[in-house]
Amino acid sequence: MTPGRRRTVALVVCGLGWLAATGTASAHGGSLAAGGRDSLTIPTWLFLSTGGAAVGASFLLASFVTDRAFIERIHDWGRPLSGDYERVLGLAGQFIGLAGLAAVFVVGFLGPTNARTNLAILLVWVGWWAGLAMTTYLVGNAWATLNPFKTIAGLLPTLDRAYPARAGSWPAVGGLLVLVWVEVVSPLADQPRLLASVVAGYSVVTLAGAFVFGPDDWFAHADPVERVFRYYGRFAPIGRGEGGLRLRLPGMDLSTPRLVDGPDEVAFVVALLWVTTYDGLVTTPAWRDLTTPVVEAGVPPHLLYPVALGVGFACFLGVYRLAVRLSRDVSDTYLAPAVLARRFAPPLVAIAVGYHFAHYLGYFLVLAPSLAVALTSPFASPATVPTVELPAWFGAVALTSVIVGHLVAIWIAHTAAYDLFPARLQAIRSQYPFIAVMVFYTMTSLWVVSQPEVALPHL
Amino acid sequence: MTETASPTDEQTASTAAADETYDVPADATAYTCSYCGRPFAREPWLALHCGLAHPNELDDGEVEAFRAAHEEEAESLSTFRLQALGALVLIYFGLLMVYALV
Repeated sequence: MTPGRRRTVALVVCGLGWLAATGTASAHGGSLAAGGRDSLTIPTWLFLSTGGAAVGASFLLASFVTDRAFIERIHDWGRPLSGDYERVLGLAGQFIGLAGLAAVFVVGFLGPTNARTNLAILLVWVGWWAGLAMTTYLVGNAWATLNPFKTIAGLLPTLDRAYPARAGSWPAVGGLLVLVWVEVVSPLADQPRLLASVVAGYSVVTLAGAFVFGPDDWFAHADPVERVFRYYGRFAPIGRGEGGLRLRLPGMDLSTPRLVDGPDEVAFVVALLWVTTYDGLVTTPAWRDLTTPVVEAGVPPHLLYPVALGVGFACFLGVYRLAVRLSRDVSDTYLAPAVLARRFAPPLVAIAVGYHFAHYLGYFLVLAPSLAVALTSPFASPATVPTVELPAWFGAVALTSVIVGHLVAIWIAHTAAYDLFPARLQAIRSQYPFIAVMVFYTMTSLWVVSQPEVALPHL
Repeated sequence: MTETASPTDEQTASTAAADETYDVPADATAYTCSYCGRPFAREPWLALHCGLAHPNELDDGEVEAFRAAHEEEAESLSTFRLQALGALVLIYFGLLMVYALV
């Protein structure tokens, strides 16, 4: 193989690998599509450094744009979209959301037990977590309207206790980690009954929270799912501004000040990124080898998984906070660390979006025909279900989306830095530690991707 | 978290937020903006900030200081651009050669 050709292959492999192991729920949601991680044709260290170098080079390219007026023009571009049709659309959306939730319960508990034909499984993983999440960052946050729990909570009475301000978004951070833990350690994508039970449990917790504190406060602060979709929605071209719906350039809403407001919300963004890594990490041989002595020494595996989830999250958050401190030193600013932490967290959402799209576009396209068949006949269980064969060049789409996610992230951080610092060189310098963190996150994910996938050990 | 219940709470919260926004070490010199109170570690940064954030309120001396700081900044930026270009070339050809060898 010529070096040039080899390089192309390596890049495509990067894309395929990314496709296989990133995004929340990849290990289990992905098991439906029978995808595996590809082995690499180049040494791991080179694979990792190429990914890291790509991020670093993007930063250097962004640093050439030093025209403040140009940066602001890109950031502020927009068109209003509001109209009278919103009310009708809203009602239709609420109805569709409720119908979807009812379908998950009815078909989940009573429908066929085969995961490939059960509407509840396909609707949750393919329709909702892959399809709807993709439309959330590609078009706009429809979940804000569709959310059946919000619709139900709005109809129910509420005690309207004051939401404890000190709790902030920490319940959402905890909720996200718990949801991912449940998703990783239990066969949620294989057993419709279990999935319907978990959705029922989530409904009870959510409706109870909304009953006590009022739906507005609960969904604004404590509900993890609502928050994931809200952040994804900030990437979308259609967003809600002060004067109703508004069209913007993709990703630019992430550089708005006060989007992430407080250490709790910073933690949530970092958690969103960490869970995508954790999900792949637990199916690597290195994880199995590392934990086997621990389990043999008598540590129960059911304790091991949540502890690892928590420790890894603390580690990611620690690295981010360290970057904030370094950024403050490097840029020689008197802004408090908390201010920097808040302004530079939203770009991480763009990276999470890139990974999600890379993983779930293929997953969605492969299984969309199965979902369509299940929608038309929810209680039938045909022996074969239609799926789509993806062409070989599809890996390039995934690679492109990951790169675009990083480019947007770097651009958003660039815009935020120009907004924060009066001196342009100071703004560029403030980015060094954050770029190092992005390289660290990227290389961690790439390392996970480059490992062969093994069955979840010890469980 | 800046959720507040009553207007008085909101006022206290915003004053507290302003205190938390800046963190000047006790022994450091700070050049503080007379319009908004934001402290800076270097004088040219203050001049740049005044020109960018309060362009309509400046007196002639401040406008002059902004122009000077802006020119100085342009010079250091072009040096940085050359360094960045050098780093890009290094990354590109470095990887190219590594891929040729591996």
